[in-house]
Amino acid sequence: MVDTRPFLPVSSHAGSDPTGPSENRRKPMKLQLSIFFVLLTVGFFAALLTSNNGSDNGFVKENEHGSLASPSSEKQLRPVSRGPAVGVSEKSNRLFAKDNENQLAYPWNNSMLSWQRTAFHFQPEKNWMNDPNGPLFYKGWYHFFYQYNPHAAVWGDIVWGHAVSKDLIHWLHLPLAMVADQWYDKNGVWTGSATILPDGKVVMLYTGSTTENVQVQNLAYPADHSDPLLINWVKYSGNPVLVPPPGILDKDFRDPTTAWLTSEGKWRITIGSKINKTGIALVYDTKDFINYELLDGVLHAVPRTGMWECVDFFPVSKTEENGLDTSVNGPSVKHVVKASLDDDRHDYYSIGTYHEKNGTWIPDEPKIDVGIGLRYDYGIYYAAKTFYDQNKNRRVLWGWIGESDSEAADMQKGWASVQSIPRTILFDKKIGTHLLQWPVEEIESLRLKSYEFNQVKVQAGSVVPLDVGPATQLDIIAEFEIDKEALEKTTGSNVTFSCSSSGGTIERGALGPFGLLVLADDSLSEQTPVYFYIAKGSDGKLKTFFCNDQSRSSVASDVNKRIYGNLVPVLEGEKLSLRVLVDHSIVESFAQGGRTVITSRVYPTKAIYGAAKLFLFNNATEASVSASLRIWQMNSAFIRPYPNNKESQ
Amino acid sequence: MNNTVSFALLHFAFCFTLVSFTPISALELHGTGANMVETTCQKTPFYNLCVSALKSDPRSSGANVAGLAQIGTDKLKAKATATLRQITALLKVAKDPKLKMALRDCADYYNAIVKYDIPVAVEAVTKGDPKFGVEGATDAANEADACGRGFKNQPKFPIYASNKVVHDLSAVVASIVQLLL
Repeated sequence: MVDTRPFLPVSSHAGSDPTGPSENRRKPMKLQLSIFFVLLTVGFFAALLTSNNGSDNGFVKENEHGSLASPSSEKQLRPVSRGPAVGVSEKSNRLFAKDNENQLAYPWNNSMLSWQRTAFHFQPEKNWMNDPNGPLFYKGWYHFFYQYNPHAAVWGDIVWGHAVSKDLIHWLHLPLAMVADQWYDKNGVWTGSATILPDGKVVMLYTGSTTENVQVQNLAYPADHSDPLLINWVKYSGNPVLVPPPGILDKDFRDPTTAWLTSEGKWRITIGSKINKTGIALVYDTKDFINYELLDGVLHAVPRTGMWECVDFFPVSKTEENGLDTSVNGPSVKHVVKASLDDDRHDYYSIGTYHEKNGTWIPDEPKIDVGIGLRYDYGIYYAAKTFYDQNKNRRVLWGWIGESDSEAADMQKGWASVQSIPRTILFDKKIGTHLLQWPVEEIESLRLKSYEFNQVKVQAGSVVPLDVGPATQLDIIAEFEIDKEALEKTTGSNVTFSCSSSGGTIERGALGPFGLLVLADDSLSEQTPVYFYIAKGSDGKLKTFFCNDQSRSSVASDVNKRIYGNLVPVLEGEKLSLRVLVDHSIVESFAQGGRTVITSRVYPTKAIYGAAKLFLFNNATEASVSASLRIWQMNSAFIRPYPNNKESQ
Repeated sequence: MNNTVSFALLHFAFCFTLVSFTPISALELHGTGANMVETTCQKTPFYNLCVSALKSDPRSSGANVAGLAQIGTDKLKAKATATLRQITALLKVAKDPKLKMALRDCADYYNAIVKYDIPVAVEAVTKGDPKFGVEGATDAANEADACGRGFKNQPKFPIYASNKVVHDLSAVVASIVQLLL
């Protein structure tokens, strides 16, 4: 027990003073000491209290930012009850999943693994890739940059890969465009976008992770603007040009967009971030890409969506069938805001109106705002980015397609990830709330032999083989008509349907599922169904769902087995239409002209090489369907390094 | 009046002295380091393992979530490396071909965990792109799982305990990194 007596002021009460009258002479000194110590104490507590508010101390900030503060955070991980819609990367879906067979992780052999490599989707020769970066068209070449790990088939040590093409399909690999050689990008040369200036010059803004792991924005530009291949890049000597502003955490500031012009002649960009769990897009204006002015407020914010990565912002024409330069604005124009949500690894977009004066954007339908409404793709698809292709007057979309097998298999095969086939983006005039995505027309240059099937009838509960020869590289265009009588006669019900919570194709309804079985072997022990499911409500209204069932695509147990998909709006008089690109371990499917799109990765062990076949199927209980199809064998795109003798292609 | 004043002064002085005798920092007065560990571990599927793993590292008092994630991955790395050594040692003396095969598979999985999954998680947490960290840790758990399944039809599972710890700790790390999203 501490002796506090020396600090006590001597009481003037005779009765309570134990030390007696001799203390009286020391009273003034003791009083001064006491006051001194009191002030010290008060000052001490005051310092403690103020340090708890807004200090640079990371620990304290963490508490303030609410990600820990609320014990009832919906991000709690619980083993079995976690649904696919909530949170984490899709791979975690397998974490606590029961495996049906008492099997090992699949013993992948080289034959199975090498089959998985795609023939006409962009991928580097080996190792890991993720986000598309700075796509652009320049001096006759389409340029594509990408997040790349030069050392392994997993994420890490990220630098910028580079490739060029004349037609967005036949790519030639070039040397790495940028590596982590500066303090401001030492820990990662991350995602960025290109802006083409009116004089034709290119500037690139990208995120760097500094030696202190702070996310900053940097400026880079081609070393030689007369080089059509844009091989060498120079980083601005005064980098970084942007650091996290007050109120934004060091690790919540990344992926700057392409810039667009304001009516004042300034350039404007947006960068995604978050405040607590509200996803936001910050807005900056600049005249020179070096000095920036942060606008008050944000372009847009949506609560509970978490960090917005790879934000994209672009105009679409309400009337014309072409793309628009990013700076275009006007009455016949709508603006799209897109964000990649860190929390659920999905890309969301919403259509709305841009208010130029204060740099804000309002969604047309708040119910389908960014992050809570429509997705570009209901399968595995992330970090997407568009660019305006001035060569063909279209807006083109790139998207990163990761793997859904195990990391161990990725390491064994030596690579991970592909890019989707670039897609054109158009406003869906007929629906008004959706965008239409479609593979760029240049992909048709890969078409070889074609097969046509007219009005093939598929009875309820049957499978029809389609003889098209080898079935691992295909472009399929199909139309389905469902028996009208069955549509009318079927009794509706209140039961709600969703692709992801359904039993896949084994769950039979009156009016579905029906569609295609791709990458299926003869015995159908492995199959990847791409299909429609029509549900009739108790009010008689029909709802059409478009799904991709990955759960039976492979007998291997260490691959994802999800059922992807969503509602697809079908208008009166529209036939059900489908386009499917099959390219080994990737299947991209487009319903109703690209109104709803699903990309999935599949890893069959038997339905590979010559054993892979194509079928029509109809697992409905009441309706028969008839299908008309055109199917092409697809050539390889022969994606390879740029030849040394400088000849193109 | 004097009594009140002296009492107040006594009170202040007492607090000050008490406070000056305990080694504290501004951090801990706001919320103790132990609290942070407990609150964070409540959000993981294996609370007790989480608490004991994190608290066994002195850095955990006063760490923020990112710090705890880093401590967790360090612990996981140590445990996985030790288990890999265990497997290698067992392989040297194993005679039963089925046992050897199962052990060899586990060696492959643990190689993946130590060489790839954990470094990815570490890099993702330090550099601030946590989703890759969640993936790395989740993959580690899946690989430990796969290793365990190889012993399902075996009479003995010599590394049962360490494998379980690696699996569970991976799940814990995945949950903690998830909080950084």
